[in-house]
Amino acid sequence: MLYTIHFSIDVDVAMPVEDKSKSLLPFLSSPKLLPNESKAEFQSSLQSLLSELDNPSPLAAALVSQLNECLWWIRRHTADKELLLYEAMARLLSKGGIYTETYDNRKVSEALERYLDGSADKDEAAWIEDILAKSKLTLSDLRVRAFKDAARHIKMVDDLIHRQHQTMRHLQRSIDSIDYKSRLIKRMDLELAALGSKQSAKGVLSLDDEPS
Amino acid sequence: MTMNHHRSLANRCNALKSTGPRSASGKRASSQNSRKHGLNSAPDFESSLEYQTLVELIAEEGFSAFVCADIAAGLLNYRRVMDAYYDTYSSPEPVDEFLRDANVKASNPIFSELLSPSGSEPQDVREMASFFASMQRQERRKGGPASRRSADTHKLIRYQRNGIARLSRAIRQG
Repeated sequence: MLYTIHFSIDVDVAMPVEDKSKSLLPFLSSPKLLPNESKAEFQSSLQSLLSELDNPSPLAAALVSQLNECLWWIRRHTADKELLLYEAMARLLSKGGIYTETYDNRKVSEALERYLDGSADKDEAAWIEDILAKSKLTLSDLRVRAFKDAARHIKMVDDLIHRQHQTMRHLQRSIDSIDYKSRLIKRMDLELAALGSKQSAKGVLSLDDEPS
Repeated sequence: MTMNHHRSLANRCNALKSTGPRSASGKRASSQNSRKHGLNSAPDFESSLEYQTLVELIAEEGFSAFVCADIAAGLLNYRRVMDAYYDTYSSPEPVDEFLRDANVKASNPIFSELLSPSGSEPQDVREMASFFASMQRQERRKGGPASRRSADTHKLIRYQRNGIARLSRAIRQG
């Protein structure tokens, strides 16, 4: 399927990619990105998808643009799943029954994200380890509990990702249908042309056969 | 009659004085108060410039006029859903950190001062504390920003499903 091969950029194409992107309609292809997302990355993903098509029509290009957006949504939702876990971990740490101090959920969640990512500084890492030690929890214990705690929301995100896959399937089928239709029209045109030339050749022959 | 009944009576009398918006623009604005994403309202694509452009472009691909109109409306409808999806995702309901992290038990003296500076009924304070605690439970149940945006966008799944099915059907029937 198209969405499984869009990462292979080295594809022979008849039409330059820049020309293909011109056939896109601005109101269907202008991306709505979040502040931390790269427009260049979005466009490069779109161009690689477009390069899979030979001479795409504006409608096909518009559908490919929607397909690219679906891929983008899958990326966002996948990142959200991890964020949900961090949120739940922070929540568990902050309400850790035996401690009187209340931690700021957002601060703990962001620090955990950096700690697990390996980008936390020394103080932050020590702080997280201290909270974990006070809670008498290992990181994996906390993760398991957080997963249980956030299961309802993680299921929702899974549903959202599944919906994007279904949407991509619909779009893929629509693109195939347009492609098939245009190839069918081309084939019929060729057959008509062949019939026409046959007919004219017959006409010439019959004229030649007529006695002078 | 207890203090509590006096207060609720006074509140009801004051509420009667409020007549809501009076001007036409005020009424128009308040009529949209409960509007969430607008996807349940019937859209009018036919009069838009985008629709006309799309119909003309699709017609060049050999589709009949009827199918062109169907595809253009389907595409614009799908875009409308995805724009609402983006708006919902990018602006989730903000977390009320004060309410979420507040210590309800420790707030009892504040409640009693708020209810009546000269000393109020313990029952009133208990009611207010329990109301505050239920609001806090609700706030905590909603979770952080990631949980909120997941829950909000999850409500739009059916619109996305219907939107893409309509578009796909229109293209394949052509």
